[in-house]
Amino acid sequence: MTSPAIRLQHLGKRYGRVTALRDVSLEVVPGEVFGFLGLNGAGKTTTIRILLDLVRPTGGRASIFDLDCQSRGLEVRARIGYLPGEPGFYGDMTGEATLDLLGSLAGQRVDRARRARLLDRLELAASDVGRPMREYSTGMKRKLGIVQAFQADPPLLVLDEPTEGLDPLMQDAFYDLLAEARARGRTVFMSSHVLPEVERVCDRIGLLRGGELVLLSPVQDVRNLAGRRVRATFSADVTPPASWPDGCEIASVSPRTWDLRVHGPLGPVVSLLTTMPIADLDVQVPHLEEVLKKYYANAPAPVSPTPVVSGFSRT
Amino acid sequence: MRSSAVVLAVHSVRRMRGVLIAIAVVVGGFQFLLTQVAAFLLRRGGFGLISSFIPDFMQNLAGPSALAFASFEGVVAFGYFHPMMIATHIGLAISIATEPAAEVETRFADLTLARAVARHEVVTRTVLVLVWTELVLLLVMMLSTWTGLACCTPADTPRPGAATIRSLAILLGAITFCWGGLALAVGARVRRRATATGGIAVAALAAFLLDYLARVWDPAKAIARFSPFRYFEPMSLLAGGQLQWRDVAVMLAIGLAGTIGGYMIFSRRDL
Repeated sequence: MTSPAIRLQHLGKRYGRVTALRDVSLEVVPGEVFGFLGLNGAGKTTTIRILLDLVRPTGGRASIFDLDCQSRGLEVRARIGYLPGEPGFYGDMTGEATLDLLGSLAGQRVDRARRARLLDRLELAASDVGRPMREYSTGMKRKLGIVQAFQADPPLLVLDEPTEGLDPLMQDAFYDLLAEARARGRTVFMSSHVLPEVERVCDRIGLLRGGELVLLSPVQDVRNLAGRRVRATFSADVTPPASWPDGCEIASVSPRTWDLRVHGPLGPVVSLLTTMPIADLDVQVPHLEEVLKKYYANAPAPVSPTPVVSGFSRT
Repeated sequence: MRSSAVVLAVHSVRRMRGVLIAIAVVVGGFQFLLTQVAAFLLRRGGFGLISSFIPDFMQNLAGPSALAFASFEGVVAFGYFHPMMIATHIGLAISIATEPAAEVETRFADLTLARAVARHEVVTRTVLVLVWTELVLLLVMMLSTWTGLACCTPADTPRPGAATIRSLAILLGAITFCWGGLALAVGARVRRRATATGGIAVAALAAFLLDYLARVWDPAKAIARFSPFRYFEPMSLLAGGQLQWRDVAVMLAIGLAGTIGGYMIFSRRDL
């Protein structure tokens, strides 16, 4: 059995009387793109910093490729490419000098041709990387941060809010890099606030709320929780049935229009509608956002696709 | 492959090379000019007059600086114990020693320590830069002193011996390392460089003034032994005494304790 790329076991972190993380357990399998979600202060960055041994846990254990993040931190970090949420570059250093320095630190072997390709993909010209970083815009700093994280092509990428400050075109370029990394078997652990982004690139998500993991699930399963929105418009007045098909939630019903939310297969609803004088049918694919906002709002979970709050969950 | 500590040390020195060169030029130039001042005073026959004009209590109150002008050797060696020169050396050492705090503050440490770089290598880098820069500055000062004496003073002048200059440099290096080590301990603990530099600078000033007071005021003598400057005694060297290795050892031990503390604190803290 392949060992998990990341394993958190009952991870906890307290800062004095403040609990930043409480009993967080999860596993990320190799080759997966894992989205780590939560509002500000939920504990995402603390978790990431524990993985990198920048912060020490007060409880539990974190390991990467079966290596303990604290006791075998050097071996762990030799396998990680990290993009911080706020990269702290020196303004007086050029982008190239920064990449050279970070690339020359232990455990990294940087292929300069690969770096050049990355710079090209992110539209950082040679003249750009030759300038002091104090002259960089937020987006340029973010792009350089991405290059330094990807340049050694590590087996695990840990990315904290990776597209913050990137324009839409560069976001697409980044998503392409991510897809290629996944195709090469790399594992990605990324925190994000941008739910459409998570929906687009992640295989699974974990959601932190108040330092606790309240959801751990494949993206598709979470999306299904929201149910598809179905709007049926009729050419004549219809009477609602006495009993609705299983998984059918009624949002609003009028003689000529039904607004439904369908969890699960559409077949039974379609069968019902075919007996009606239907004029138009609109089916909207659910968005992750619809479910996650309920979690963010501290509402009880609609249905947890995978029980997670304690113990492990694997897909 | 070079160790990360060396890579980071080269990076640090490269970033601060402009300041280092400027300081080296200033301290070296000052040392050279002092030899010219000494030669000028010698030609004017001023040394005997100067020493006779300064009463004992004034010599104590003014400290080593006043006595320095009483002899050719004193003027030549003035740069090794002038308060501004001491402040320059210690200030630079504090600035270097608090680099770990600066890197935590700017989050550059997140980028370096997210790689296979051990935390102790960051501290080792700081120690390497600290020692290297101080050695370079002392070497520049000694070379300037030697150049000034060799090229521009009469050959029959009673010059300070090489051993005296070397001992003065050792004393200055020891007091600098002492404060650098203390700054490293504080810099390894705090999140802001200004907190570390400000705190240590105030402590150094207080220690300097305490030692200064203790030289003329007996009640202060009891606690002045806690001031590292109490062990910085250049005037005894100029008076023909030997370097007190015990004093040097005390200053180095304080610096070493700070350095070890810095290693331990930085290795254990949350960044």
